[in-house]
Amino acid sequence: MRNYIKIILLGIIVSFTSCTDVIDVEVQQASTRLVIQASLDWEKGTIGNEQAVTLSTSTEFFNTSNNTAVNGAFVSVTNTMSGEEIIFTDQNNGDYTTDEFVPILNETYQLLVIYDGETYTAEETMTAVTEITRLYQDREDGFDDEELELHVEYTDPEDEENYYLFKFQREGDLLPQFEVGDDYFINGNQVDEWFEIDEDDDTEKIDVLVPGDVVTIEMHGISEAYFDYMNILVDQIGGVSIFSSTPVALKGNCINITNPDNYAHGYFRLTEVNRASYTFE
Amino acid sequence: MITILTLFLSSTFIIAQESYTISGKITDIDNGETLFGASVFLEGTSIGVVTNEYGFYSISAPKGEYRLLITYMGYSDIKEEVNLNKNQQFNFEISEVSTKLEEVEVIAEESEIAVLRKPEMSVLKMNIETVKQMPVVLGEVDILKSLQMLPGVTNNGEGTGGFHVRGGAGDQNLVLLDEAIIYNTSHMFGFFSVFNADAIKDVKLYKGGIPARYGGRVSSVLDVRQKDGNSKRFAATGGIGIISSRLALEGPLFKEKGSFLIAGRRSYADLLLKASGNDNSVSFYDLNLKTNYKINTNNRLYLSGYFGRDAFKLGENFSSSYGNSTANLRWNHIFNDKLFSNLSAIYSKYDYDLGITTAEFDWVSSITNYNLKYDLKYYFSDKFKLDFGASGIYYEFDPGKISPTSETSAVNLFTLDPKRALESGVYVNAEHKLTDKLTAQYGVRYSAFTRLGGQPMVEYENDQPVVYNEELGIYERGTEIGETVYDKGDVIKQFGNLEPRASLAYTINDNSSFKAGFSRVAQYIHLISNTSSATPLDVWAPSGQYIKPQLSNQYALGYFRNFKNKAYSMEAEVYFKNTDNRIDYIDGSDLIGQNTIETEILNGESRAYGLELLFRKNEGDFTGWISYTLSKSEQKSSGGNAGGLGINDGEWYNTPYDRTHDISISGSYRLIDKWSFGSNLVFQTGRPVTYPNGQYEYEGISVASYANRNSDRLPAYHRLDLSVNYKPNNKPEGKFKGEWVLGLYNAYNRKNAASISFGQNIETGANEASRTAIFGIVPSLTYNFKF
Repeated sequence: MRNYIKIILLGIIVSFTSCTDVIDVEVQQASTRLVIQASLDWEKGTIGNEQAVTLSTSTEFFNTSNNTAVNGAFVSVTNTMSGEEIIFTDQNNGDYTTDEFVPILNETYQLLVIYDGETYTAEETMTAVTEITRLYQDREDGFDDEELELHVEYTDPEDEENYYLFKFQREGDLLPQFEVGDDYFINGNQVDEWFEIDEDDDTEKIDVLVPGDVVTIEMHGISEAYFDYMNILVDQIGGVSIFSSTPVALKGNCINITNPDNYAHGYFRLTEVNRASYTFE
Repeated sequence: MITILTLFLSSTFIIAQESYTISGKITDIDNGETLFGASVFLEGTSIGVVTNEYGFYSISAPKGEYRLLITYMGYSDIKEEVNLNKNQQFNFEISEVSTKLEEVEVIAEESEIAVLRKPEMSVLKMNIETVKQMPVVLGEVDILKSLQMLPGVTNNGEGTGGFHVRGGAGDQNLVLLDEAIIYNTSHMFGFFSVFNADAIKDVKLYKGGIPARYGGRVSSVLDVRQKDGNSKRFAATGGIGIISSRLALEGPLFKEKGSFLIAGRRSYADLLLKASGNDNSVSFYDLNLKTNYKINTNNRLYLSGYFGRDAFKLGENFSSSYGNSTANLRWNHIFNDKLFSNLSAIYSKYDYDLGITTAEFDWVSSITNYNLKYDLKYYFSDKFKLDFGASGIYYEFDPGKISPTSETSAVNLFTLDPKRALESGVYVNAEHKLTDKLTAQYGVRYSAFTRLGGQPMVEYENDQPVVYNEELGIYERGTEIGETVYDKGDVIKQFGNLEPRASLAYTINDNSSFKAGFSRVAQYIHLISNTSSATPLDVWAPSGQYIKPQLSNQYALGYFRNFKNKAYSMEAEVYFKNTDNRIDYIDGSDLIGQNTIETEILNGESRAYGLELLFRKNEGDFTGWISYTLSKSEQKSSGGNAGGLGINDGEWYNTPYDRTHDISISGSYRLIDKWSFGSNLVFQTGRPVTYPNGQYEYEGISVASYANRNSDRLPAYHRLDLSVNYKPNNKPEGKFKGEWVLGLYNAYNRKNAASISFGQNIETGANEASRTAIFGIVPSLTYNFKF
């Protein structure tokens, strides 16, 4: 909800700024860090036993070579209640996988990664998500009242604080789009989240949604700490304008217990997720 | 209080010889406007004063024959023989020089003696005629943009509101329009300022050495005064431009016992957009009003007001509007020829409103204040003058109310806690001529701030609204353990501060002087904003349990010199200031709709220092100035009570207002009476920003990791503006005068970066840097008229 307010401000500015172009800029280079993408997502209605953790390293900002996969690390996840530890298998492409994971809502798990002689750990709780009650399309809402947008309807549970992460991706598009939300202003209500793709006035490279487009939707229930993390991350995607807050170094929950200053990027998350797909008519 | 002071004065100072007083007012012969800053001197002596904001002067001198000399830049001098053998009143009407000089006399006082001898320093004074001569963007004359051509004043890039003085933040400027506080100085997010040049008489910016009669902001005071209105005849001024048009009407009232001014402006970009089928719309308008009534020689009433509004619409689904409204009722009373007083009752309000149809809610926020102040000036003797007075400001902060606009809205009605506070101050300030060469100004202000109840206050575990998480190395919101509800009659927190102010002027010779100054200022209300540029949505917050008042000390030294009978002049100043309790925001702070601001901030300090040079050519067909500022502005926010090292590991980092070099050159050339040309050249070090220092793959996207706060800089900012003024054959005897102004902003079409953002190319996925430039080359054409 708060994001709407930020976005409108940006929207206003963007529509009156005259010119945007791509330029060469010199940036500083930080030392390389380990990146842990440990997203253990449990799709509603499945067993959730198949899970993967991806390890890579950070690079210089304008670097375009993609081969940063980290092999030869040790990866395991332990249920802190039962003490059961599951060791993930190194696939030698940066992925570490298992089909033995047992997801239990509201239970806490610990991630252990050992790489290059340093040990990284993180703790997180498996967080539930409410169901999507309706998916439909419309034109009136969104930033543009003439273009198609997708609506995702759900009812926010009243008795608890809820945090959401949405991931929308149109088939054929290279990049997904993320939205985060909390129930600060909307607790207990029926909520309508929308997704629209707006034309870029400058480049006209972006195509709006049209009939026939297929959009996949992920709706995750997330912890408050992960919400805080993703809220900053989503804010900083695509850069910042003069009315954005100062961008910051993002710190996830993976701590390096051997050398705390050498913390890892990325996050250990455990979410319940609704997955759906919608074809525009 | 007056009685006590008078007693004090008469017992301390024994009048050595028979001394008499001349007092009165100086006005413009054409329109009856009182003149602020006109010099009144006894020729051949160093006895003299400048008129105050209401045109009043008072001079005391030993009995004798004198020649009284009245000078004001752009006006003919008046000399009057006086036989000072009794107290007497002289009102003078002076007339503008017929072939008016280009009045690039932007600076300081009119008489060179005054410039050099008055201890007042770090002051920029703008004559509205000068402002009107300078090239402007989109043809709209703008006081704030003109001030930025002078040393020590910058903005935060094109398309942003506000201004920054000596490395200070935008909320550290006290902006007064006819004494009423203006909370947002910009129209259209800073493309224009709220000041309509046709309604403004004069502008004074105190960059330091803030006189004791002002308080409440640590960086500067911008004192803008509206015209009183022509008391001689009906007159109109106006202009037609490509973005907006304006009209001001003024004239006498009550058989020349009073006058009025009404001025309005409106933009019409919205109408053009609508006509071209564009759903988006942007517009502003404002209205200035002033009227005064002279009850008798010693009593005069003034009523003034301002109302301005901006509106934005983005398609059918988003709309926003914001604006200031002010009103001020003043009573000028002259007790006797030595004691002048003014009582003001002032109202001011800023509010914004945001409507989001898609999400079916409305957002409203406002700050309102009621201000009562009483200022007196006692012209004790030629050597000693005393300002003193008191003021009280009552504030109401309504940081936000969200209301659903339909039955089906997902949003619940939600109100952020309203806040109330009382800020009061008493001051006394002396201007004391110690010797013929040495003049001092010293005084003190005592300010008090009471945060009033009527709201709950949250309490936190270990009294920590922000806690450092050692494990993750981040600052987090503290744990709420309860709240205390304060009734309206309760006091939540009180503060009091003594604010000494002093300055000294040493006149080396008739052409040069040294000055030194010190000032301490407290600031009790703060604009909560974590964006590099303030937005209309930012809310003001009062000091209280968790936010402490900002306290600033400033030290300045200056050297002032006139050359060639004041055809040229030079001013050089160095300054250092440090401010305690300057807050900054923790990484990832979320301020929109935030009820507990204290969970998002760390307390810190800031410091700024610099060198300012100004060299002017004041006379001739070619006039203008070169201004250069070398400066540094930094801040530091340690963890304090929250633990941890703080922002940027507790090290000093650049504020967004740091500009190492800032050079402005402004010139105008009068070819013949009909044609004149103006130009501005600006060069500035780029604004401190935060760039990425790496990237990594996460969830299918490349995530940028960012470097330390403000450790990079935008590319340098520079541009050239040109303007041509053409005055067609105006009959000298005719009342109607017209003028065409052709302007070219950013003449060589420099793409100055307002921001640079980093992200992935949507087709290739490769990271790239995108520069947003607001203004390329912008031509404009305006027709101005008056009759």
